[in-house]
Amino acid sequence: MSLVQGRRAADRSSRGHERWRGLAMAFPPIAVVGLFIGFPVVAALLYTFGYVGGPNETIASLGQDQVTGFPTAGAYGKVLGDPSARASIVATVVVTILTVLIVLVISWLVALYVRLTGSRFAKIVSALSVTPLFIPVVIASYAILTFYAPDGFLHDLATTLGLPGFPRVSYTLAAVTIGEVWVNLPFGVLLMTSGLHAVPNVLIDAARDVGSSLPRTVRDILIPMNIVPTVIVSTFTAIYVLGSFTVPYITGPNSPNLLGTAMTFSFMSYGRPQQAEVMSAIVFVFAAGIGTLYVWANVRSDRGAGARG
Amino acid sequence: MRWNRRTLAFAAAVILAGGLAACGGSNSTASSGAKGGPVTITLYLSGDVNIKGMWDNVVIPGFTKDNPGYKVNIVFSEHGVNDTVTLQRLTAAVKANQNSGADLYEAGFVQSAASAGLLAGVTTQDVPNLSKVSPAALQAVNGMAAPYRGSAVVLAYDSNHVTNPPKTMDDLLAWIKANPGKFTYNSPNSGGSGYAFAESVVDRYISPADLQTMDTTYDPQLESSWSKGLQELHGLTKSMYQGTYPNGNNAVLDLLGRGQIWMAPVWSDMALSGLSTGLLPSSVKLTQITDPAFTGGLVYLGIPKNIDQAHKLAVFKLENWMLDPAHQAQIVNAVKGFPAIEQTYLPSNTAQLFAGLDTSNLRANFEARTQNDLKQQWQTRVP
Repeated sequence: MSLVQGRRAADRSSRGHERWRGLAMAFPPIAVVGLFIGFPVVAALLYTFGYVGGPNETIASLGQDQVTGFPTAGAYGKVLGDPSARASIVATVVVTILTVLIVLVISWLVALYVRLTGSRFAKIVSALSVTPLFIPVVIASYAILTFYAPDGFLHDLATTLGLPGFPRVSYTLAAVTIGEVWVNLPFGVLLMTSGLHAVPNVLIDAARDVGSSLPRTVRDILIPMNIVPTVIVSTFTAIYVLGSFTVPYITGPNSPNLLGTAMTFSFMSYGRPQQAEVMSAIVFVFAAGIGTLYVWANVRSDRGAGARG
Repeated sequence: MRWNRRTLAFAAAVILAGGLAACGGSNSTASSGAKGGPVTITLYLSGDVNIKGMWDNVVIPGFTKDNPGYKVNIVFSEHGVNDTVTLQRLTAAVKANQNSGADLYEAGFVQSAASAGLLAGVTTQDVPNLSKVSPAALQAVNGMAAPYRGSAVVLAYDSNHVTNPPKTMDDLLAWIKANPGKFTYNSPNSGGSGYAFAESVVDRYISPADLQTMDTTYDPQLESSWSKGLQELHGLTKSMYQGTYPNGNNAVLDLLGRGQIWMAPVWSDMALSGLSTGLLPSSVKLTQITDPAFTGGLVYLGIPKNIDQAHKLAVFKLENWMLDPAHQAQIVNAVKGFPAIEQTYLPSNTAQLFAGLDTSNLRANFEARTQNDLKQQWQTRVP
C-alpha cells in the first residue's frame, strides 16, 4: 500500500516537474506575444474606453476629438453614431461575405476539377490560379483599377461587342471585392486542392462502383471529407478582408469603403487615433467570432485524427 | 538531453530578457560639450526619393565641404511611413527629456510638433539667413521651425483641350460644371493637392480674420463657417471624373497623363518632374488661379526642444547654409520646388523659373489639427 502510494506520489511529482519544464520552455514565446501583442492590445482597448493615462499618454496627447473619463463607451457611441462609419461597417461585412463565398466557389471548382480529371490542362488552371501569390498587392490593385476603368480593357471589349452602357467597376465596392478575391484565391486553391488530394481514391471509386453520380459523390464524400480546409479558407479569407487596406484604398470608392481604410484615415489623416482604435476593436470582435469557428474546425479535425488513429 | 533542453530554455529566457533590456535602455544624449564644434547631425527625413536625392547629392556634400568635420546622417522614411511612430517617439522623448533619436526633422508632422511645443525655437540671431524668409512663414509656426523649401499646388491642364484656362476660382468652378467628367482632385485625406483644392473652395466663405486665426490656431468653434464651402464641393461631385475622388496625388496625375481628365490641381514639383520624365505629355501646362490661389506649403525643419547645445548650434549652422541664396537655388533646381526665401534674394537665373508664379505669397494651409478636421468633414459630407 505504502509502496503504491509512494509510486503515485513520485508519478505526480514527475508529472508536476514535466509541467513546469513545459511551461519554462513555452515561456519565452508567450512572453514575447504577451509583451509585443497582448500589452499593446490591452492598452488600445483601455484607450477606446477613455483611459488616457499610462501607456496611452503619448498617443492621447496627439489625438483630437477624444472621449476621456475612464470607463466610458462614449468613443464607441461616437463612431457608431456616425453614419459614414456605420456605412463602412456594413460595407466591410458585405464585401467580406461576398469575397468568402466567391473564393470558396472558385477554389472548390478548381480543386474538384484538378482532383477528378488530373489532366494537364487542369494542372495549368490550378497553377494559374496560384499566380496572384507572386504579384505584389499594390501592383495587382492598380492593374485591377485600370483593367476595369472606363478606358480599360473590359469596357473597351463591352463597347466593341455593342454594349456601350457597361457599368464602371473601378472605384466601387465591386472592384474591391474583385481585388480581395484575387488576393485570397491562391490560398483557397492551394488548401482545397491538397485537401481533396487527401481523400483516398478508394472512396471515390467505391462510390462510383455502386453507381453514385458525380454530384452525389461530391456531396456525400468529397464535401464532408474536405470540410476542415473549407472552414480554414473561409476564416482566413474573412479575417484578411476585414483588416485589408491596400486593395480598398486603391480600387475602392471614397465612401463607404472598408474599415481598413477608414481606420487608417482616422489615424493618419484625421488625427483621431481613438476612433481608429474603436474601429479596430470592432474588427477585432468580428475576427474573434470568425476565429472561434477556426478553432472549432481545428478541434474537430484533431478529434477526427484521434478517432482514426 | 534533459539538461540540454533546460539550458536551452534558460538561454532563451536570458536572451529575451537581455534583448528587452537593450530595447528599453535609454540612449541618452551624448553631450559633447556646450561649445559648438564639428558633430554628426542625425536627420529624420520623410518624403519621396527625390527629396532624399536632393539631400544626398546637394545639401550634404555642399554643407560638409563648407564645414569640414561635420557629418549628416539621414534616417529615411519613404513616403512618411514611419511618421506617426516617429512623432510619438519625439513626443515621449521630449517629455522624458531623452534623446529622440534625431537632431533635425523634415516631415509633415513638424508643424504639429511645433504647435504641440515639442520643438526648439529658431530666431534670426540663431540663423541669420532666416531674415530672408517672409515673416508670415515664420509666424505660421510661431517661430518654432524654419522653412527651407516650398511647394505649391497649381492647376494643370491639357492644352490640347483647354485653350483658355481659368484664371480665378470662380472661372474654375464654372469650367468644372461646364465640362462634367473632365476634372477631379484626390480625396483630401490621401494627398495635399486634393486637400489644397478643397481648402481653397472652403476658404472663399471664411472672413479674412477667421482665416488668419485658423491658419495659426486650433479653434473648432470657427469650423461652422465651412458648411457653405463643403456644400459647394458636394455639388461638384456629380461633375467629377466618374463622380469619384481617387486616392493619392499620383492617381490624379495618372488620369491626367492618360488623357482621362483635362484639368486637375497638382503639386508643382510632382508635375514638373512628371513633365521632365514624360509621365505627363508636354501638352500639359501649369498655371495658378487667384481669388483665392490654391494653398501651398513650405517644408519646415524642426529641432527637438531638449537637444544638447552642441548639436543645436550645428543644426543652426546647417539651416543657415540651406537658406543661403546660392544654396536655395541649388535646392530649388534639384527638386523643382519653391524657394523658402523671398524671390528677390534668388540668383536671377533661378528666379526666372518662377516667372508668373508668386513664390513668396504661398497661401498657407490651416493649422495642422484644423486640417485634420476639414479632411474628416470632407469625407463625411462631400463624396
